[in-house]
This record gives sequence, structure tokens and C-alpha cells, in this order.
Amino acid sequence: MKLKKVTSLLLAGAMVIASLAGCGSSGSTDTASTDSSAATTTTDTSAAATTDTAADTSADAGSGETMVFEIYDAAANYQGMQTGWFQKVVNDRFNVDLNIIAPQVAGDAIFQTRASSGNLGDIVLLDATDFADCVKSGLIKDISADIGNYPNLMVFKEQIDVYNQGLEGNAGEIYGIPTEMLNSSPSSYSQDVIYSSPLLRWDLYKELGMPDIKDLDGLLDVLGQMMEAHPTNDAGDPAYPFSLWADWDGGDGMIGIANVVQLTTWYGEKLRGSMILKPDGTFTPLTDKTASYYKITKFLNNAYRRGLVDPDSGTQDWNSACAKMGAGQVYLMWYSWQVGFWNSQDRLEDGTAFIFVPVEDQNYYADADAYFGSGRVFGVGSQVDDAKYKKIMEFLDWYASPEGATFQHTGIEGFNYEVNADGTYTAINSNALMDNLPVPEEYGGAGYNDGNNAINQWIVSSNSINPNTGETYNKEYWKSWKEATNTQMKKEWAEKFGAKEPVEWMKKNNKLLISPNVSISLDSDTADIAVIRNQCNEIVCDYTWQMIFVDDDAAFDAKWDEMTAQLEGNGFADLCAFDQTKHQKELDEKNKYK
Amino acid sequence: MNKKKLRGYREFLYVLPFVLLVAVFSYYPLYGWKYAFYDYKPPKPLSEAAFVGFKWFSYMVDNEIKRKQIGQVLMNTFAVSGLSMLFSWFPMVFAVFLNEIKWKPYRKFVQTVTTLPNFISWVLVYSIAFCVFNSTGVVNSILMETGAITKPIMFLQSSEHIWFKMWLWLTWKNAGWAAIMYIAAISGIDEELYEAARVDGANRIQIILHITIPSILPTYFVLLFLNIANFLSNGMEQFFVFQNNFNKNTIQVLDLYVYNLAMGSGGYSLSTAIGILKSVVSIILLCVTNAISKLTRGEGFI
Repeated sequence: MKLKKVTSLLLAGAMVIASLAGCGSSGSTDTASTDSSAATTTTDTSAAATTDTAADTSADAGSGETMVFEIYDAAANYQGMQTGWFQKVVNDRFNVDLNIIAPQVAGDAIFQTRASSGNLGDIVLLDATDFADCVKSGLIKDISADIGNYPNLMVFKEQIDVYNQGLEGNAGEIYGIPTEMLNSSPSSYSQDVIYSSPLLRWDLYKELGMPDIKDLDGLLDVLGQMMEAHPTNDAGDPAYPFSLWADWDGGDGMIGIANVVQLTTWYGEKLRGSMILKPDGTFTPLTDKTASYYKITKFLNNAYRRGLVDPDSGTQDWNSACAKMGAGQVYLMWYSWQVGFWNSQDRLEDGTAFIFVPVEDQNYYADADAYFGSGRVFGVGSQVDDAKYKKIMEFLDWYASPEGATFQHTGIEGFNYEVNADGTYTAINSNALMDNLPVPEEYGGAGYNDGNNAINQWIVSSNSINPNTGETYNKEYWKSWKEATNTQMKKEWAEKFGAKEPVEWMKKNNKLLISPNVSISLDSDTADIAVIRNQCNEIVCDYTWQMIFVDDDAAFDAKWDEMTAQLEGNGFADLCAFDQTKHQKELDEKNKYK
Repeated sequence: MNKKKLRGYREFLYVLPFVLLVAVFSYYPLYGWKYAFYDYKPPKPLSEAAFVGFKWFSYMVDNEIKRKQIGQVLMNTFAVSGLSMLFSWFPMVFAVFLNEIKWKPYRKFVQTVTTLPNFISWVLVYSIAFCVFNSTGVVNSILMETGAITKPIMFLQSSEHIWFKMWLWLTWKNAGWAAIMYIAAISGIDEELYEAARVDGANRIQIILHITIPSILPTYFVLLFLNIANFLSNGMEQFFVFQNNFNKNTIQVLDLYVYNLAMGSGGYSLSTAIGILKSVVSIILLCVTNAISKLTRGEGFI
């Protein structure tokens, strides 16, 4: 009996040790990351004790105590201290740690609690309308006296001035620095692929003999044939042309489900809140049956009736949908970045990657290069003391510098790129982000994605030209990258459509509508409109999903009418009127570039 | 006299921590009710928000469609609570039957297995539900293999019988836990009663009907009355995880409705107003059930 007990104890102990060892041996990256986070917590406390003493304010690394910047960050997907290689980069230069506060992680309620305490954070990154409200509430520091001393920020003087002049009641003060600014022109388009367009698997399309696609029905025909020929992926799991997800609905200030909203741009229309901006520059409510929201919902419903929609679409979240994309269970994609979950270098080479295939009756909408910024704004919290303020400005200046932008967009020299003889770069380890490659200890260790810049928003756009190389920060436009990715598939595509890149094809065939980038501060919702917007959005989302899954036209239209009636009862007309005035201002500004 | 006074102070000091706790955590939050009377929208502080009186209260019911919406939410709340009340005898009967299992290891096993789900969070319950009931899940796979269906059934997407399904999930999660109270009550029954009944020749069913159940009925009634007072609060986690765009209309209970309103896009004032109404109605329900209890049992429970 006793012996039994002893052996069982021993066995249990062995198991515990084995499992612990199992954890440890899963890679040196693990231990490295815990090490660095331990280091940050210790410095954290010491910094908190000394932030008030206006001691050493020089940016020299190593001198003085480590400072911590609290960053209220509307763009971040990660909350907590910055770790890994980017932490090392910042710490080496400024002796600063970054503490990210992410409303996307913590929930929007954190905005309310922090705002009512009068201190959002040391550095604040907000959507433009929220930012304007915060300026009004005195949460943002006036930086006009000092910003002139920072040359890298002053590169964007025009854009910063234009943004701040747009703030209500502004008499020349500077509060905010827009994000993702660019040095081209407000109406140019320098990208090769637009944000949303139909993307098909090239091998499956080729198999069908590359038929021309006339309209959305034609697209469904093609997708149907693909599914017939390949009902499962290579692993034998069922594949569908469409796998939708519900958790992004109502995002980006647009009403309706994300999957429909994004596709409306295929017909040159763009949702602005509850209104649809038509190619002719007029607004029509979302409930207009002749507009694209109806058309695309119908399109998805037709797809469902043909059995082309993954039955889990209504209940799965983005992560499940994303896993299916990565496993090849999806035959249609539309976001330009979505292909990143499938298109690897190998697949581009063997021709199984996704690429844009035009649909004849479509006319694509795209936002121009974000010359004036992409809509979010950086600011400094009004509660920071002088020493910290100086350091924050130095940090933001570096953040906008070529060196800072290279770290943010390109990565680490020797790990993400190598410098060629002519000064341009060649990418290496291009799967660093996708596969979270371990970073060598000298650069900060841990996984590359783990240590990536958690602020997740840039002052300088990746499509800006790096003055050191004469090429963009984004590797996809480097000469060296283009050469490496000019695969057989790309050549076939170019031959079939007579253009080098999708955007070139669109421009050639006059199928691209570019909406100029303007800087304008839009009215924020009143308390009434905020409630109406939320309720209307819920109604539209619920009914749209139900409409996608009905079996005939009659039921579809009945649902549509029911939705319209519900919306009316919840003050949709007020919302439309509000949105129309709100966005007309923006439209007027855009029309100046026509 | 002086001594008595001193004792009074001392006793007051004994309860002071609890009074403070209640004041801070139960009464101070009521101060937040004032948000219902303003057009509050962060980041503007409340002091700058406009006072609007009862606007948000009338907003809820100012036209036919909104009245219907609130009506539907209330109906869901009442249906879900009503169902669980209708079946509130279930844990009691379960406890009685459990008690009848004579082989102790098996009884302990059943009790443990039924109690465990109580400690699983609703989020995990939903992921289990998703794994079992999605289009490629266990249930659909079996049905497809056996040829019973040709197209996967979307269990989670249908809004049919949603109240009953929610009750089933709740029971699966809670029955074992709820039975604990009754098991304790049963173990408190005087053994002599059973012996006397056996001497008198009562069989098992008769013993259950005439001794066990009558003895634990008072416990049942107390729990039932407490449930009635909680009629409007059926929690939101369960419904939050199971809600989707297809069943929202029939699954949205009051608590979830308030959450969706407030957290969705900052309808803080409106959701506070609904919260106030809910509290008021709950207090009324509590008083009513207390009165009923006084009438039927001769004593109230508050």
C-alpha cells in the first residue's frame, strides 16, 4: 500500500517535471520573452517613482531612469508593455518603455473611464472625431510652440496645419499629428492592388479556361464550377467559395455587415455611415433598393441559394474564417491584405495564389493615397510634465523619421532586409511576420511578430518614399521584390489582361474611381444620434444576415421591407439627415480636386 | 447607563465595516443613476452634458415600433425566466432521486459530474456547443453519415424554440449545483421519520411522496420566491454568447439588451434609464412575492 503511494507520487512528480520541461524546450524564444518582460516590469516601477523629478531629459541611452510612456492607442490589438525587438529599438534610443492601452482589447468603456479621469494617456492615438471631442474637453496638449523644432515632423507641416485648422474653433493651435501621411499628392493612387476587389484562385480559374466574367451572376457561375470541380481542399475538408464572418459588423463608422459593406465598392459606391455615396457624387440612403447594399446582399443570397456559402458563415468569427482561408477552403477573397493568409512565395510560383480577376460591369472605388492621413490622429496628453513632454516629442519625431519608419515598415537591417550596393534594399526572411520567426538575441530576441511595433499605427505611410533608398518603405514596391515575384502566374495574368498590375488594368479600362484624400474634421454624434446609429446598425446587421440565408425572392423582399419599417421606427430618417450633412462637407472638399 | 451606552458604541463599531461595505458597493453606485437624466456622451464630462429630464424614459416607448421592440425584449425575459420557474422543481426531484441511489460511489460520481458544468464559463460552454453543433460538428456528421439528412442543419443559427434550448443549456450547467441545496435539506430530515414510515409499511415511492418532498418543500419555496424577485435578471453571459444575427430577436433578454445598447456605441443614458426601470420593477416584484409568501406561509422572507 505504502509502496504504491510512493510510486504514484513519484510518477506524478515526473509528469509535472516532464510537462514543465516540455514548455521550456519549445524554443529559446519563450524564455527570452519572459526575460524581457520581467526586465520591463522592474524598470517600470523604478520609473514610476522618478517621473516627477525633472532629471535628465537628454535622449542618451542608458543615462537616467527608464521612463514609461502610456499610450492610449485606438489602433492596437495588444495591451500591455511593448516587448521584444521593437522595445529594444526604442529603449536603446530613448531609454523609454511603451505601455499600450488598447480599447480594442479592453473594450470601449475604457475610453469613458479614462476620459472622465482627465488623463487618457501620455501619448494619445484616436479616431479623428474622438480626437476633436477630446481637444474640446481639454484632454490634449497644445504642441504649437514646440513642434517647429522637430524636423522630421515638419516634413508633414502642410498636412498637420490643414488637419489642425479643421478643428472646430481653432485659432492656429496645433494639437494633433495625422497618421499614415504620404508625400505624393492628395488624388494620386500609387498602389498596385486596391483595397477591395474580386480575387480568385488562379489555378482554379485557369482550369475553367479563364472565362470572361460579365456580372455578379457570371462570377457565381465561375465560383460554382470551381466548387463543383473541387468540393474539398487538398486535406479533404469541405470548401466553399464564400466563408463569411460576423464579428466586424458595423465597424469603421459604416452601418451594415462588413462583408456586404466592403463589396459595395465594386460598383463605385461607398458607404458613409447610413448613406451610400454614389459615383455621381450624390447620396442615397442605405435602404435604397437600387443602390449597392441591396445588390450585394442579393448577390450573397444568390450565392447561398446556389449552395456556395459556408453554412457556418453566420455563427463563426473572423478567426475561424481566417483559419479556413489559410487551409484553402475559400475560393473568393476581396480584401487586398486577405491574400496574405494564402499567397506565399511558393504558391505564387506554382500558380495557386489568389489574384484579381475583373468582372465586366464593375467599376471599382478606392480611396486615394492617404496624403492628409488615414483618419487617426496622434496627440500628447494634457497631463504630462515638461520632462516627459520633451521626451515624447523627441520620440514622435523619431517615429516620423526615415530611421523610425524603416523599423516600423521594413524591419531590422540584417534580419528583414539587406542593403544592396546601390543603397536599395533586398528583403530577407519575408515570412518573419507570418511565421513569427525568432529574432536573434542581439536585436532583442523573441518572435518577430511578438516584438513587432504594438502601436500598430504609423505617422509615415508605408508607401512613402524612403529618402535613403529612393524606394518605398513597403517592400512590395522594391525593384528587387518585383523581380523576385515576377512569377509564371503573374506573366500569364499580364498576358490575359494586358496589364502589369490590377490597378494598371483598372486605369487602362477606366474602371477605377479614386476618391481624393482630404482632411476634414467630421461632426461627432450627438447623444441621440449615437443611440439611433447603434440601434439602426443592429437592425440592418440582423436583417442582412437573415436575408442572405433565405430561400426565395419573396422572403428576401419581405425581410427587406420589414427592415425598412423597423429602421423607420427607430429614427433612421434623422440618422440619414445627420450623415448627409456630415459627409456632404467632406464631399465638397473632395470635389475641389476634380 | 454609561456602560450600556459604551456597549452600544462597541456594537455599532462591530457592524460598521459591513455598513460601510454596503454603502460603498450597493448604495454609492446608485449615484450613477443621474446619467439617465442627461445627454451624456464621453469624453465630455457629465457637468457639460445637457440635462434632459425624462427624455430617455419616453424615448423607449415613443412610437409603435419601439414599443414592440421593448415588448419583445420583455417577452423574452419573461419567457426565459418563466420557463426556469416552471421547471424549478427539476433540481429538487433530481436531488430526491440522487438520494435514492444506495451505492455511494455511483451517487458521488453522478453528483460530481452534474455539478462540474457549473464551473465552466459560458464562453467555454458556447465553444463546446459550437464544436458539437456546427455544420461539420459531431451531430451533423452523424446525421449525414447515417443518411438522415443531406444538408447540415444549422442548429445554432435557428431561432426556433430558442427559449427552451436556452433552458436546456442552463439546466445542463446548473442542475447539479442547484441540487446541492436540496441534498443538504434532505440530509437534515430526521431519520426517525423514515424508520417510522418503514415500520408502518410504506414503500419507497410513498416515503418520497410523504416524507422527503414535504420536508424539503420549505426550501423549495424560499428558493422559488427569491427567483421571482430576480425575474427580470436572468444574467446576460449565456445569451450574449449564444446570440447571433438570426436569433437575436428572440434571445435578447433585458440584461443583454442593456449591454448591447450601452457598450455598442455609448448609449449610456438610455441604458441607465432602462436599468432604473428594471430595478424599480424588480423591487415591486420582490414586495409582491413577499406579500404572497406572508399570505401563504404566514411569514415573509425579508
